[in-house]
Amino acid sequence: MTGARHAAGITALVVGLLVYPFLDRALGFQTVHAVSDGMIYVLLALGLNIVVGYAGLLDLGYAAFFAIGAYAMGLLNSPVLGSPLYGHPWSFWLCIWIAAAVSALLGVAIGAPTLRVRGDYLAIITLGFGEIIPVAIRNLGDITIDIGGWRLVDRLNLTGGENGVNPVGRPYLPGVPFETDPTPWYFLILVVGLGSLWAMTRLRDSRLGRAWMAIREDETAADCTGVNPVSTKLLAFALGASFSGFAGSIYAAKLQAITPGAFEFQVSIMLLCMVVLGGAGSLRGVILGGMLITVFDRVVLSQSTFLVRALGRATGLPLLATIDLTLWRWFFFGLGLVLVMLLRPQGLAGRRERVLVVRDEDDTLAAEPVAPPARTEAIPAWLRERSAEAAAGTPLLEVRGLARRFEGIVAVNEVDLLVPRAAIIGLIGPNGAGKTTFFNVVTGLIRPDGGSITFEGASLVGLRPNAIVARGVARTFQSIRLFPHMTVLENVLVGEHCRLAATVPGAVLRPPSVRAEEVRARERARALLAFVGLADKDGDDARNLPYGDQRRLEIARALATEPKLLLLDEPTAGMNPNETERLTELIGLLRRELALSVLLIEHDMEVVMRISDRITVLDYGTRIAEGTPAEIQRHPRVIEAYLGTGYEPAAR
Amino acid sequence: MNWWEVLVQQTINGITRGSVFALIAMGYTMVYGIIELINFAHGDVFMLGLFVSLTWFTLLGVTKTMTGLQLITLLPLVFVLTMLTTAALNVAIDRVAYRPLRRSPRLAPLITAIGVSFMLENLALLWKGPAPIAYPDVFPSVEILGGWFGLDSAIFLTTKDVLVIAATVPLMIGLHYFVTHTRWGKAMRATAQDRETAQAMGINVERTILVTFLVGGALAGAAGLIQGMYYNIGMWWMGYQAGLRAFTAAVLGGIGSMGGAALGGLVIGFLSAWSDQYISARWTNAIVFSILILVLVFRPHGLLGERAADKT
Repeated sequence: MTGARHAAGITALVVGLLVYPFLDRALGFQTVHAVSDGMIYVLLALGLNIVVGYAGLLDLGYAAFFAIGAYAMGLLNSPVLGSPLYGHPWSFWLCIWIAAAVSALLGVAIGAPTLRVRGDYLAIITLGFGEIIPVAIRNLGDITIDIGGWRLVDRLNLTGGENGVNPVGRPYLPGVPFETDPTPWYFLILVVGLGSLWAMTRLRDSRLGRAWMAIREDETAADCTGVNPVSTKLLAFALGASFSGFAGSIYAAKLQAITPGAFEFQVSIMLLCMVVLGGAGSLRGVILGGMLITVFDRVVLSQSTFLVRALGRATGLPLLATIDLTLWRWFFFGLGLVLVMLLRPQGLAGRRERVLVVRDEDDTLAAEPVAPPARTEAIPAWLRERSAEAAAGTPLLEVRGLARRFEGIVAVNEVDLLVPRAAIIGLIGPNGAGKTTFFNVVTGLIRPDGGSITFEGASLVGLRPNAIVARGVARTFQSIRLFPHMTVLENVLVGEHCRLAATVPGAVLRPPSVRAEEVRARERARALLAFVGLADKDGDDARNLPYGDQRRLEIARALATEPKLLLLDEPTAGMNPNETERLTELIGLLRRELALSVLLIEHDMEVVMRISDRITVLDYGTRIAEGTPAEIQRHPRVIEAYLGTGYEPAAR
Repeated sequence: MNWWEVLVQQTINGITRGSVFALIAMGYTMVYGIIELINFAHGDVFMLGLFVSLTWFTLLGVTKTMTGLQLITLLPLVFVLTMLTTAALNVAIDRVAYRPLRRSPRLAPLITAIGVSFMLENLALLWKGPAPIAYPDVFPSVEILGGWFGLDSAIFLTTKDVLVIAATVPLMIGLHYFVTHTRWGKAMRATAQDRETAQAMGINVERTILVTFLVGGALAGAAGLIQGMYYNIGMWWMGYQAGLRAFTAAVLGGIGSMGGAALGGLVIGFLSAWSDQYISARWTNAIVFSILILVLVFRPHGLLGERAADKT
């Protein structure tokens, strides 16, 4: 779509939205009321999309937040419980913000204990909260605590109980008939909805949105790229909930009466239906899904009932003649969920999954990808500036007596290792020697059972992976772990996450400082991609890259975190000789030009021996040798570990 | 009633409730153990078991309390027929809604499971109507303590309570034998531990999953039949609630562990019965769900389950 046509489309949409209620009145359709209700559910679905679509956390109890929003408004802005806020012209406009804040707080309260829980368990926990909230609202309307005949509490009403809350104060604007006319409600919801949409778009395109998606794609990799999973998920819960706070409070004020029955499990599932049908993670999709389901629910089912009945009468089938399809609505929602997941899991508006290129051995050989040479002048200038701070002197990383056991098996046993500044240290050993475990302990994925890890004079033990990244230690993984459904550029931008500062207000309002930061971040990411030779692929999905490119992208992402120490886990595995050669050059360049230290696990002995300053050899978790490449090659225990006893050292 | 009689009575209630939960929990735990899916529709298979068993009774002409001969001929027959029906249903659900998603992200089949659950519930709603249905009193109810032993006790223990135990315990023992002593059981345990390796060892993984759904569905059907005969009432929405309680039981016991599911079922049975008595029936759901949340957060491997090594 060209820019002009795009602008024309938007204009038409805006005009349509503005004119619709007046057109409706002129034609006497009287649909504004129903459309406004539908828009409330769309707004709810958009809030749920933050949790489910962006952060990838399946929330089966989202109606609980809707309930909290509605009850926050209902209880604060109603005479039922004697709220002092009721009856003022500003009551509604104040309460709507309180409701959003209360919902957000509840989002954090529900989110906090569940963060360590796996995805499907988290879904069940949210479902549990979704069940508890209506039960609590019902029962807290009439509390009597009677202990041994002593009435501690007698018929206390906190929530209105089964009867709900009625009436709820309406919004007040001078001269606007909120009492009698649905049109002002339509515009109120439209304004709130468009405002929310605007905020969501900006959040999605900010460092926060990228962090959500990174968590969704691969939580461990995100953690090791500097994204704090705990605060990121909590933020998703809180923001997702706050939008339902707005929706809930408008719902309460519009309906004038709320009862606990309006927030049952079915509502959560209907909202989930909207998100999944349209395409989780796509704003346009969620709006489409929400509209389709609302129309289906309110129009299609009732209208087709007439049709089917007429058909039944015409054909003389009594079963059809008496059918009421509106009773089938939940059946159809269930069917919809099943069909969408089976036939189009990305949703109606989701990006079509491109068929993955099969990356097997033959493919690599046939195509023989040629990596671009690593050039000194291609090193991004900003990386150079950063490295100037690094002063020589004390060792960068100092590991002493590191130990880690797995149920009796000693994976890492009293290992010492020293990484000086601007050095390349090789870590080799047979399979199962504990090299990757060593990496995992240093980067905080696994806690050590003993020993110390000191980086620039401060201990890393007990820090979460993302905090270690922030200190300046970045890593890659043996089995590449990119964020597959994000673009190449986005992958690198996630790497910059911990060096960026935009907060929620910053991301939404985009003051000049945030705008400049984002522009700079993108420039840096592009420079890094150019450096590793992926400049022309920044818009591709990471999963569609060939193998060697994925390896280089992972290194670019690690470099984006501005590390002082880079931990590479078998970076040349699966690469052809040309790619290996280029990557080796690149590693050497990083050390030479940027004074970056590299700790390298590598099975390709030629690479290790050529670029390492010193090498540490592990076998069965124990350090059996340490020295220069030449020393290691002659070391009898190393030869024994690699070749077994009884062999003479072979000439290399 | 003395306070201790109340306690004993509620404990008996807890055992009977718990037995039904345990049977349903078996299906959750087996399916989760093997394909790591929370089979959300499982509770509804239980609910349909109740409805289907009623149909079988009606087809066999049993509409009132069974006599001695019928008890040893027709009752086992209805057990078998009901279990076969729900087993087939459960397998069909897997084939249609879960199997195509075996290689999808974990949340995809969970979403279809919720969809299937909604479909089953609403089919039952349309089949039987929104009002609770009366399940005929097909099993003779005789009070044991007063009627047989002439004891003067307020505790109400009937032949129906005995039926629940007499039906549940053999099913549990049979299941335990099946899992530990048969080829299929061995295949199930191997597949649960490592699907790829099991496949490499020549185990037909898909068929093993099919057997798992078959057995789980059969147990849910038995639970539905027992529930119907014991409480003489059935609701279209009962599967959702019973399913969540049974899932809580499975998680509490340690998901993947058969013994855990049995233990968890009993614990949830006791807790819900006691909560009904001592707190208030209207809070019971909130209490059960709180337990579920606490267990999932603080002890996700449950009472008996092994700590599942998270694949990083």
